[in-house]
Amino acid sequence: MKTVRLGAGMAFWGDRVRPAIEMAERGNIDYLCCDHLAELTMSILSKQMRKNPDRGYTPDVIDLLRGALPICLANGTRIITNAGGANPRACARRVAELATELGLTGLTIAVVTGDDIGQDIDGLMAQGVPFRNMDTGEPLAAVRDRLTHACVYTGCEGIVEALGRGADVVICGRVTDIALYLGPLIHEFGWAPDDWQRLGMATAVAHSIECGGQATGGLFSAGWADVPGLETLGYPIAEFAEDGTAVITKTPGTGGRVDVRTVSEQLVYEILDPGSYLTADVTADFSNVALEQVGPDRVRITGATGRPRPETLKVNMGYQAGFIGETQFTYTWPDAYAKAQRGLSFLRTRLAAAGFRAEAELVEYLGWNSMWQSRMPEPTDPELPEIVVRYAARCATAAEARKVFTECVPLYNNGPAGVAGVGTRPPVKELFALWPCLVPRDYIKQSTDILEAS
Amino acid sequence: MKTIRVAELAHGRSGDKGDSCNVGLVAYDDPSYAILRAEVTAERVKEHFGELVKGTVTRYELPNIRALNFVLTQALDGGGTMSLRSDHLGKVMYAWLLRMELTVAERSAD
Repeated sequence: MKTVRLGAGMAFWGDRVRPAIEMAERGNIDYLCCDHLAELTMSILSKQMRKNPDRGYTPDVIDLLRGALPICLANGTRIITNAGGANPRACARRVAELATELGLTGLTIAVVTGDDIGQDIDGLMAQGVPFRNMDTGEPLAAVRDRLTHACVYTGCEGIVEALGRGADVVICGRVTDIALYLGPLIHEFGWAPDDWQRLGMATAVAHSIECGGQATGGLFSAGWADVPGLETLGYPIAEFAEDGTAVITKTPGTGGRVDVRTVSEQLVYEILDPGSYLTADVTADFSNVALEQVGPDRVRITGATGRPRPETLKVNMGYQAGFIGETQFTYTWPDAYAKAQRGLSFLRTRLAAAGFRAEAELVEYLGWNSMWQSRMPEPTDPELPEIVVRYAARCATAAEARKVFTECVPLYNNGPAGVAGVGTRPPVKELFALWPCLVPRDYIKQSTDILEAS
Repeated sequence: MKTIRVAELAHGRSGDKGDSCNVGLVAYDDPSYAILRAEVTAERVKEHFGELVKGTVTRYELPNIRALNFVLTQALDGGGTMSLRSDHLGKVMYAWLLRMELTVAERSAD
């Protein structure tokens, strides 16, 4: 019976590339599927592309391919990635250069585009697409002049076409994470694009591995101390059967663990209604998903299903939304908490005198309540050895945000005794907000271009 | 009757979807799952998170893996890209739910 082995090569821009290379070496995989994009990533990449037309993709893909590409070509493993980000063509050009540097010949690179609707927004609005904010109902006009990018979470059609045309490396922009997996499965098994059962099942599998090390022992909250080899954690591999079910495992000889508990935890990660997991290709239903340990580091996953794909696609739109200014300082025993309060009132008074204007502010005491905020009671222990104050504010301009640090520094000489750690200037952080909205799928057309390298 | 924490019955994981945070609990065994289903209601979870959740709490069930999924809306100070919180992605919200205390019969937590 035919099986197809898909490896989860990356989980985000900045993730380790070594486990992906090890997976190419020893994982016996047919496809290396690499997700480099988080919700915010497209804002950053779009900004880079505007400054330089050769940028706008996640450069870690080059580090990954430098190690993995020669092995994958030799083994017939094909690579599918959304590292193209805001500029898949530039990414493909760089990959072609890399192939030449590495002396590789006969490489076929495909570029899948069509997700970027940044230039089409006004035209689409004229055709009656309102791009209303899904959460607030506001019209796009509220932020139209501050938009940084607009990309549609597109499906797997372009990937299927690229593989059909013989691509060794498929470089996409903002396709869904799930599409990176459904594309090769449809290509291999010849599933119909409306085979909702198989697509829904495979989506549950893809969801459970798409965050890489989180399926193999990373972030595991039950007996975290017993997970072996976190430093050499292997990324997960799904061995798919023709019906869309799979056995989840990992690269042999790597750290971590695959068991029913590690996979269960990942199945409930970042989902809303498990009965209605929306993707561009299928509406998956995880409600009755089931797991079974079938060997060491091998878990069989079954029981998911699917319904027709949604008629609208989600748009990842971002807009410039101001800046965060932040600072922190530490007060020590005695009276650590009381002195921290005094230091904070010093900071606020100075900020007010400087005409400071913030849209929102937050105080956290690191080591005490920075995670759960007001759910923690105020510290009352007079012997408290130290407390770290973190103050952060959202401001309209960078100049305003910088005041937070400037007005805090005098605490070194002018505030209560027993203070340290004021002196490191944290960067002012530029903020990009997301504008969640929808577009009817009929307006979006993917296209697939083949680039023959060397 | 005795008081236990959810952590004795389940492990968990949490993350972000815009300004919503989801917290998944996975029970260690069938009796624990039965207690979670009965005791860890959406209402109690909403109360437990207090001001951390400005919106609603909805509970979903995945019985074959003995899991409950809680979706907390308006829970991340504007969402991962905007939030002022250190935990702007809601990665540790699960631990707050594991700290929730339940009153159970002596035998049911054996």
